[in-house]
Amino acid sequence: MAHPSQLGFQDAASPVMEELLHFHDHALMVVLLISAFVLYIIVAMISTKLTNKYVLDSQEIEIIWTVLPAVILILIALPSLRILYLMDEINSPLLTIKAVGHQWYWSYEYTDYEDLGFDSYMIPTQDLLPGQFRLLEADHRMVIPVEAPIRVLVSADDVLHSWAVPSLGIKMDAVPGRLNQTAFIATRPGIFYGQCSEICGANHSFMPIVVEAVPLEHFENWSSRMLEDA
Amino acid sequence: MLATRALRLVGKRAISTSVCVRGGHGVAKVEDYTLPAYFDRRENPLPEIRYVQTLSPEQASLKEKEKGSWAALSNEEKIALYRISFKESFAEMTQGSAEWKSIVAGMFFLVGFTGLIVLWQRKYVYGPVPHTFEAEYKEKELQRVLDMRMNPVEGFASKWDYENKQWKK
Repeated sequence: MAHPSQLGFQDAASPVMEELLHFHDHALMVVLLISAFVLYIIVAMISTKLTNKYVLDSQEIEIIWTVLPAVILILIALPSLRILYLMDEINSPLLTIKAVGHQWYWSYEYTDYEDLGFDSYMIPTQDLLPGQFRLLEADHRMVIPVEAPIRVLVSADDVLHSWAVPSLGIKMDAVPGRLNQTAFIATRPGIFYGQCSEICGANHSFMPIVVEAVPLEHFENWSSRMLEDA
Repeated sequence: MLATRALRLVGKRAISTSVCVRGGHGVAKVEDYTLPAYFDRRENPLPEIRYVQTLSPEQASLKEKEKGSWAALSNEEKIALYRISFKESFAEMTQGSAEWKSIVAGMFFLVGFTGLIVLWQRKYVYGPVPHTFEAEYKEKELQRVLDMRMNPVEGFASKWDYENKQWKK
């Protein structure tokens, strides 16, 4: 999760998020350089002592400031498209989970082998155990095996929601009547928090997503226990 | 007939040549903004017309003297001729003003006033913050964040030295 007054992204927990981090660094650097350059030009124009400031015609600079932005845009577009196609590559997920948004909780269904389904409600502030994160904790987490390709089918039961986990680099709209597919690999074990990202009513800010990546044996133990409890 | 007479007046420069002559129907009203105007601009140093349009008798005789040798003009005469043609010198027109001081003062005042409003709001409008903001709770939260190794690569937990139980230097 993010710490207070954090400015940058959370550390990546999936390969796609790593790529996005690096691309963001690249695009931000381009933007910073252009902004610094423009700021310099503005200051120079305002503080000049020259009187003849109206140049009417110059072919060379016109060529430069047409070609150079086109080149810069290509330099941004190529990595961007690379990541876009990377995200759509054929992977063979080991596990398919359905994440369904309701007003105002998420429900997860693991139906590959057995019929496991449960709801995930936010833990209210007054019920938090000492040290738990306000508005982020849920009573049941979506547990997944670490380093396994996972497919998530996102949908909704009533209104639009959005299933987002920033450290995995995922955001997928939950549309009623539609199945949206996204996939990821958790590269390190841990707990990854996210929040509903599409306005869905009064408690839109109070339906968090918690993904817990654990080693495979732990995942098997957890799913057996959940099936018994159900 | 009227147009010919009007045009002869134009030829004598008795009326401005920017007058629109409508064939046979008279002359359109001459607006101020269509006539040449005086301006003091750094990037356009030579205005369209002289500053002083109607010369006093001394100024008129000075203008006659200007037609002769300029070496014969004294410094005051040269300055007087300059002031006939131009309203402000370059130095006068490009000098700044002290307006920025009042702007900055007003800005500080408004910022301070906003601060007062914010303090008043915090005291009288907002309710108490959740119990999760208490210092003891924040300590437990911090401990949990470090135990869970949140953002261990470059983020939060990467700044904690787990061996020596302190923040990395």
